[in-house]
Amino acid sequence: MSRYPVDSGGNRDIPDTFVFTGERSRQGYRLNKFAMSLTNPDNREAFRANEDAYMDRYHLSENEKAMLRARDWDALIRHGGNVYIMVKVAGTLGVTLLAMGAQMRGQSLDAFMATRPGASARVRKD
Amino acid sequence: MATIIGGIGTSHAPSIAHAYDKNLREDAAWKPLFDGYEPAKSWLKETAPDLIIMIYNDHMNRFFFDAYPTIALGVGDVHEIADEGWGKRNFPALKGDAEFGWHLARSLVADEFDPTICQEITIDHGILSILPLLCDTPWPAPIIPVAVNVIQHPVPTARRCYKLGQAIRHAVELYDRDIRVAIIGTGGMSHQLHGKRFGFMNEEWDNEFLDTLEVNPEKLTALSHDDYMERGGAESVEMIMWLTMRGALTDKVNRVHRHYYAPFLTGFGLIVLGCTDTPGHTQ
Repeated sequence: MSRYPVDSGGNRDIPDTFVFTGERSRQGYRLNKFAMSLTNPDNREAFRANEDAYMDRYHLSENEKAMLRARDWDALIRHGGNVYIMVKVAGTLGVTLLAMGAQMRGQSLDAFMATRPGASARVRKD
Repeated sequence: MATIIGGIGTSHAPSIAHAYDKNLREDAAWKPLFDGYEPAKSWLKETAPDLIIMIYNDHMNRFFFDAYPTIALGVGDVHEIADEGWGKRNFPALKGDAEFGWHLARSLVADEFDPTICQEITIDHGILSILPLLCDTPWPAPIIPVAVNVIQHPVPTARRCYKLGQAIRHAVELYDRDIRVAIIGTGGMSHQLHGKRFGFMNEEWDNEFLDTLEVNPEKLTALSHDDYMERGGAESVEMIMWLTMRGALTDKVNRVHRHYYAPFLTGFGLIVLGCTDTPGHTQ
């Protein structure tokens, strides 16, 4: 039983779901702070120009830098990266949300899009 | 005394902004979405509210986890557009209303809601993705942004969001100028954007939510965050912000329009509800 009158999210085991709890936010804080900086266009330019040097400005761990170099979105989320901030990294690197998602599901982008109801309309159009 | 004339519940999504900016209005995959917003746009144009209150969430474009407010209220006379990581969209800044904004702050605090009061609040796709589908520029009315934390748990309960709407209604009724106010609650319906469950949609649940929101919103306030996330995916917990809109309306409402379309990653939902105590409403 909960100590609280109402439970917040993240108490039930929902398959393949990583609820962004305080624990996760704490673990991912440094990583998210780095990614948040990419809302500034000068910072995006600096990151693209020299990824390692830019990541060092935010004192990312070797593990965090390795996940970013690998564009391993699933690992970054598990580590506490918030998906709405990780899309800022992806956007800076020219990776779309759809491509991130396909990778997290372990599929090619084409295979993932084939599962989408709107894809047939898009194919007809193109 | 000011009055609330009605409300709109709507999804928000970066993909809507993308489709708008890439001019995909006539694209076969996007046309049903844009067409679906036309009746809502007509309703806003015909009812011509003097002020629009918008409940939404910030996706770490104004606020970060160094200090992430549970409820934030924009009281400035202007709200700038955010750069979300790929450049600012080409829209004029939103108009605010400092006089009403500070009134709302006083009234909410008197009613024991304690928002973070923001004289500067840059606006992201929580508002701007769907605003151009609901009205043309120049923006027709000042907007009061109310940002709710639906990202970093603990987030406020569904019931708290509903009560916030009731408190907003109270504030509108206490306002001494005779203005007409619309309230818009935004938030993605079923969607999950991470893990192997990425792309999860639940059309049946989304439509049950729309049914229940209209006639029996109290039932939706009894659900836990895990209930929402289990049924609609982790990121769909944003749906609780629709309850703030509904809480600000009359118990009985007049449904003007409803639309649902789920093409890619999320259910795009839309509902327009008129208050039954508004003069001239149709039963």
